[in-house]
Order: sequence, then structure tokens, then C-alpha cells
Amino acid sequence: MTHLSEAIPHLSLPLLSATLSFTMAACVLILVLGGSGATRALAVLCQLSSIGFLTGAAWLRARSGHNELLDPLWHQVKVDSVNEAILVLYGVLTLTILLLAPRRDATGGFLVGVLFLFAATVFTYGATSVAGFGAGWVLSALPFALGCFRTPGVAHSPALWIAVAISGVALMGAAGLMGTSGMDFSHANGLAMALLLLAVALRKGIFPVHSWLAQAFERGSLLPTVLFYNGHCGALLLVRAESTHLEAVVQQMLHYICWGALLTALYTSFLMIAERKPRRLLAMLCVSQASFILAGLSSGSHYGITGALIHWLVVAAASTGLVSVYRALEVRCAGVERSTEGHLGLGAHAPRLAVFFLVCGLALVGLPGTLGYSAEDLLFHGALESQPVIGVALHLATALNAIHLFRLFSRLFLGRLASEVAEIPDALFRERLPLTMCLLFLVVGGLIPAPILRHREAVAQRIHAALEHEAAQSH
Amino acid sequence: MDIGLNGQILVGLVIAPALLFLALAVFWLLGWKGQEKIVCALTGFLFLGLTLGTGVLAFRMVRHRLPSVSVDLGNWFAIGDYGFPLRLTVDRLSLPMVGLTVVLVGLVGKFSTLYLHRDPGHLRFFLLIQLYAFGSLLLFTAGSIDLLMAGWELVGITSVLLIGFFSYRREPVLNAIRVFATYRLADICILVAVFLAHHWYGSGLWSALITGEWPMQKSAVGGPELNILGVLLVLAACGKSSQGPFFGWLPRAMEGPTPSSAIFYGAISVHAGAYLVLRIEPLLESAPVARYVLMAIGISTAVVATLIHRTCTDVKTGLSYASMTQLAVIFTEVSLGWTMVAMLHIAGHVAVRTAQFLRAPSMLHEYRQLHAASGGQIGETGEHYEALVPHKLQLWLYGLGLDRGHYDAIVDRLVIAPMVCLSAVLNRIEPTWMGGSSPAKASKSEAEEVAGDLVTENSHDAPV
Repeated sequence: MTHLSEAIPHLSLPLLSATLSFTMAACVLILVLGGSGATRALAVLCQLSSIGFLTGAAWLRARSGHNELLDPLWHQVKVDSVNEAILVLYGVLTLTILLLAPRRDATGGFLVGVLFLFAATVFTYGATSVAGFGAGWVLSALPFALGCFRTPGVAHSPALWIAVAISGVALMGAAGLMGTSGMDFSHANGLAMALLLLAVALRKGIFPVHSWLAQAFERGSLLPTVLFYNGHCGALLLVRAESTHLEAVVQQMLHYICWGALLTALYTSFLMIAERKPRRLLAMLCVSQASFILAGLSSGSHYGITGALIHWLVVAAASTGLVSVYRALEVRCAGVERSTEGHLGLGAHAPRLAVFFLVCGLALVGLPGTLGYSAEDLLFHGALESQPVIGVALHLATALNAIHLFRLFSRLFLGRLASEVAEIPDALFRERLPLTMCLLFLVVGGLIPAPILRHREAVAQRIHAALEHEAAQSH
Repeated sequence: MDIGLNGQILVGLVIAPALLFLALAVFWLLGWKGQEKIVCALTGFLFLGLTLGTGVLAFRMVRHRLPSVSVDLGNWFAIGDYGFPLRLTVDRLSLPMVGLTVVLVGLVGKFSTLYLHRDPGHLRFFLLIQLYAFGSLLLFTAGSIDLLMAGWELVGITSVLLIGFFSYRREPVLNAIRVFATYRLADICILVAVFLAHHWYGSGLWSALITGEWPMQKSAVGGPELNILGVLLVLAACGKSSQGPFFGWLPRAMEGPTPSSAIFYGAISVHAGAYLVLRIEPLLESAPVARYVLMAIGISTAVVATLIHRTCTDVKTGLSYASMTQLAVIFTEVSLGWTMVAMLHIAGHVAVRTAQFLRAPSMLHEYRQLHAASGGQIGETGEHYEALVPHKLQLWLYGLGLDRGHYDAIVDRLVIAPMVCLSAVLNRIEPTWMGGSSPAKASKSEAEEVAGDLVTENSHDAPV
């Protein structure tokens, strides 16, 4: 790592290591305090400071003019133009989950698990080597394997951590084959790239290895699962690989991921037609829409890559909003989870939750005026430019997803309120605050998308240039 | 950016409803209850202002002999060569539509003040009407196909939310899902058309595709690919105007409150499709395939819809098929190149149909009054032409009309059921590895039950 610390300039403050150490300290403190009422406040406070540190790191990186800056204390992590936005976003998403978690969920184990998941994901985002990336990748599933989110008396699915373990092995195998110390994929041969793509497919839930996510959503703790999934570490791995000069033969393999993502988007949207369980519907919606990210990233088009990078932010924010509202309903109305028949009519008592759900959902499927629209517009444009079939198929998948989303919305919020449902409260202040932030991000970001676009375009340009360079050399 | 007084009026016209919508929505999210008087007064002032603004703009255009007013607001977003142009244009085609929109939405808002008095969804209705007005104005004043699509989608989503307005009943909710599904599938055509326009012609601006001033416009582009673009846009228009392959959703949309039925399905929303085909008429001149498709769709829909209209037993469903018939005639007129006739037809149809929809709740009452006033001497009508048709054919046509042209049966059996079946099969063979499984194990019959919200019953006659 010595050569890295010499080659890459440093942050003026150890903000990344501060984020990680603060989070780990908070985890220890919460474990010591146990089930005390102050633990959530402590976790929220810690998360607020982490967001501050990460924003500071991103600001310092932008001000320095360098593409990447190493943490001065711990050279295993860095902030760069690719990860700075998603680091801050992930911090905010974690805060959202901490605030929105119903009281019955927010146990000491849950808070520790969420904070650990955040720390592991930050480490993955900032990793300066493939080995570090792989370590963070596997560690992020540790809270699930250790049962931090386990509810007594409920059989949780081990699908999530099994998938992560297999993908982690594949990733480590690829790292071993490449034999590089840094985040350099230029030595990747066909087998190493195949292992990398397997890891990406497993982590992102690409067909035919997508079913673990539906099971994790259905028989797992919903909020941590969506937080885990919204790390989109698989997409980041692909971005890291594309950013280095891949050999032409290896680059060709990216097409497999593109087609796999397309197939996943279509397949899951077809699966949803006969699906009624809300949790599975949410899982498949997330998988289907998130697979657009991979389709855009591997499209090889400048527009497609930019669209994918923005869609990443949209999927993360919108799906967290959707799932959080759904979990709030589950807690308020015991029958929601098991309800596969009829309409629950919860909108009559919880109109604000209904609005949050609808706007987040519509942003996810690209309603004009939301950030999802700009993202999908660019993504489809890029996809149509490179592969017209993919562009048209993605349109079909979005249309189907929108229909399923509206079906789910109507099932939860429309219809006559069941007589057995007592008065349920609308969004509480604790819930309203993060959900409003989420909504504002999606709507204001959609009305004025230029700043976000400009930032993401710079990253997309770098990825596209690397891909073009190698394509030109192979010619 | 100096956009001049005309430009300022135009921008103000378009964004004013959006600003009111956003302000009211934010206040409501913060806990405001949405008092009826305040909401109605603000909406009233808004549409009064919009009507005056449209009047002033029209006056200035006539006075200064301006065939059109355009405002360039730059790009909404842009990457490399690709941008989403924000250009608003009002010309002889869009100005009447803008005028009709602001006047009729204002009138319907006034009507709804009493109609929805003390309704729990009062605020929701007015918010949706404001969003709808914004979407419509954006659609009609869009200077590019991209911006038109944004307005198009907003009109669609507000329309669906208003169909499901009385959500405590099952039918409105099911019909809202069905209409939404139809809209989304039709919208694929316009989405693909937008991207193809950029791909083939490098721009989505109307001025890049069409030259001259309406109604003397010419196509600025050509080539065989124009047929594909034309057909896609015609199909998208069919989705919005309930024509051809997307015929059949309009009666389902009658589940919404009568004022929204009037403004959406009697007046503005269904005519958005007709507006689109009028807008692209110069392109159709160079795209014969698209023109013939439009003509075929117009004629076939007119025949079937008028047959069905004659068998309808409730007012709103009858009016919806009557609307569909007139829209089909408008489509045919456009396909024949009679643009001015089509424009006048739209204006007249919008006014008459809105009045009919708004009077629909009191139609039975009025008929009884008329019946009593005439001493019970109201004669039967409409049997002259029927008598010219052979009896067997009469019966067959009656059956066809009564079953709504078998449209729902065809769609349910040939489109939805196979998709549901395929989905059920996929669910059954869904991988069950990694930690056991619990995918939905639906048999075919169960799957049909499961997708009940897509395969709705035929009982969609709207209550008056």
C-alpha cells in the first residue's frame, strides 16, 4: 500500500476513518447500553456526524481538484468522484432507516446491525484494493448472519448471507487470479472476469440468481434488507472494473451482464403479474428497476452510463421510501403482510403515507417531474443508441412495473377500510421528516436535475473514455 | 433571458397551476386541513387569472399578427449532444386548446365546489385538477415532443387517480388499474417515438420536424423511417383517445366524479390524442402507412363505438361511447387532411360534451319533467335507419353492441389470460434454491383469481 499512499494525494482530515471509528464506537456503546431508550438517539447522533464527515470528505475532494484522495490515517480507504455521492447518500439512507424503524424493530441488536452494515458498506465504497472491497462486501452481510435483525419466533431466511458468501468467494477468487494489490482490473483474464460478473450478478440479483432477494424481503427484516440491497455494491464493482482498462476480450463479457440485466427486468416484471404478496412485489420491483442500473452501465453509451448512475440514486432513495412506508403500515395494521386478497383502504386513515408511497413509487418508475424521469430518459436514450432491442424492452419492463406499483398502491391504500382495522395514525413526525426529505430529493432533483446530472456526467465520462480507449486499441 | 411580454404570459399560464398545486400540497403535508372555502377561492382566482391571461395573449397575437409565440427556456437537462429542450409554443392550433382548457377546468372547478361539498376527498380532487391543468397546458404548449410527453404522462396519472377517487367502492379501483395499464402500454409508443425522433432526426423539437405555421405546415423530415415514427405516434394518440387497439377503457373511466368525467373524458384529456394527430398531420403527409393506419383506426372505431352507444343503458357510459365515436370521426378527418374541420370539430365537441356530462346527473329528472310537461307524449326515436338493416344482421349488430364489441372478452382472453398464465408458470418454476422457497404457487385458476385486478368483470357501467 506504500505506493498507493505516495501516488494518491491525501485528504487534509481523516474524515473516512473518523466515520468508521465513530460508527464502530457507537456500536460498542449501544451494545453496552443494551435496550435503553437512548440508544436510538445515540445511533441517530452518530449517523448525523457520519453524514457530516462524509459530506466534508466529498467537499474536500471537489475543492482539491484531484480525482481521488486517500484517508491520511488509514490508507485502505479513499474518497473519489465515483463514490463521494453514494457515500453521502448511503449515510442519509441509513439515517432514514434509523428514524423510520418502528419501535418494535429498533432494538439494540437492530441498531448495531444497521450501523455495522453502514460501516461495512462505507468501507466497500472506499476500498482501495479488490481485497478490501471483497472484505467490506462480505462484512456487510455479517449482521444478517449473526442474527442482529432476528425477530423471536420468526424463521428468517438465510438466503441473503448465503448469496453474499458465495459472491464473496467468487470476488476473492477473481482478486486472487488477477493478483493486483490495488483496484486495478486490467490484468483480469476471462476466468477472473467471469468470477467478477458472477459476484455482481449474485449481489444484484440478476437472473437466474435473483430469487434470494425475494426470499430475504419476504422472510427477513425488511428495513435492513432494503438498506443492504441499496448499497448496490455489485454496480459499484462493475463501475470500478469499467473504469480501468479492461482487455477487449474481457470487455466483451460486459454484454452478458447487459443482457442478463435486461432479462431480469423483464422476467421479474412478468413474475409480478401473478404475485400478490406485498413484500415479494416490493422485492421484485426493486430488482427489476435496479437491474436498469446494470443495463445502463454495461450499455457502453455515455448517455446510458450517466442515466444508470442517476438511476442508482433514484432506486436507492425511492425504494427506501417505499419499503419504509410499507413497514410502517405493517406495524400499524397486523393483517397487511398476510393480506393477499381485496383492498385494505388504509389511505382513508393514512393519506400522507399514501402520498409518500405513491410519489416514491412513481419516481421509481420515472414519472415526469421526478429525478427518475431524467434518469430513465438518459438511460433509455443510451440503451436505444447502443442496442435498440434493449431500449424497447426496458420501456416494456418499466410500463409493467408501473402497473404493478399501482396495483400494490391500490391494494394497500384504496378500497373500503376493513371493519377490523382500528384507527391507525397517519405519518408520525419522526416518519414525516425523513420521508419528506426523500420526497424533496426525488421531486426537487427532478425539477432541477442539472446539478446532479453534471456531477454524475463527469464520472460517466471517465468510464466511457476508459471503455472507448480499449475499444479503439482493439481495433 | 429576455422572453418578452408574450413569453412571460405564456410561461405564467403554464406554471401557475403547478405552483398552486405545490403550495397546497406542501401545506397539506405539513398538517394543513385544506378548508373548502380557501381551496375553492384559490382555484377560482387561479383559473380566472389564467382565462384573462389567455385572452390577453390571444388579443396580442391577433393585434400584432403573430402566427405563434415561442419561448426558449434552455434545456431541462443536457448531456453531450442530447438535451431535453424546454420550449413553449402557442400557435393557431394550441391556442384554442389552451383557451378551452383554462375555461373548462375553471368552470368544472366552480361546478365541483357544490358537487363535492363536504366530500372527504374535496382537497384531493382540487389538487388533482390543478395538476391536471398543468399537465394539459404543458402538453398543448409543448414546443417539442419531449415536453409533450411530460404533460402527457401527468394528464394520464391524474386521470387514473380521479377514476379511483371513490376508492371505498371496488369497481372504481379495479377500473383505475385497468385504465392505468392501458395508458402505460400505449405510452410505450410515445416514449419510443421520442427516442427515435432524437435518434433519426437529432431533435425532438416540432420546429425541427415540421416547418411553417399551422395550418400550412410541411414536414421537414422524410424517409421510410417516418412511417414508423408516425405509426407509433398514432398508436400513442389512440391510447389517450380510446381508439383502435386501446378502445374500451373510456367507459371504465366513468367511475370518477362527474365533474372529472366531464373535463377528462368529455373535454380535454381524450382530445389530447386528437391534438397530437393534428400536430403531426404534416408528418403524416410524408408517411402514407401511418396515415392509412390512422384512417383505418378512425373508421373502424367510429362504426363500433356508435353501435355500442346505441345499446348503452346508462347515461355516462352512453356519453363515453358517443365521445369515442366523435373522436374517431376527428381522427378520420385528420387522416384525410381536413385539419381545420378537425379543429372546429374538436372545439364544438369539447363544449357540447362537457355540458352533457355536467348535466348527466340530472338527466333522468329532466326527462321526467319533460315527460310530464308533454303529457306523456314523447315518441320513440331512432328506428328509421335500423329498419333498413336485415333483421338477422340487426340482431347480430345488437349483440355486438351489447357486448361492447367483444373488446373486453378479447383482451381478457388473448392478452391478459396468457400473460397471467405465463406468470403463474414462471412462478411455479421459479428457482427454489438458497434457503428454501416460498414463491407464489399459483395454479392457472388461482392465477386468474390473483390477477383479478387486471381481469375485471364486465360490470363497469358507471353510476350517474
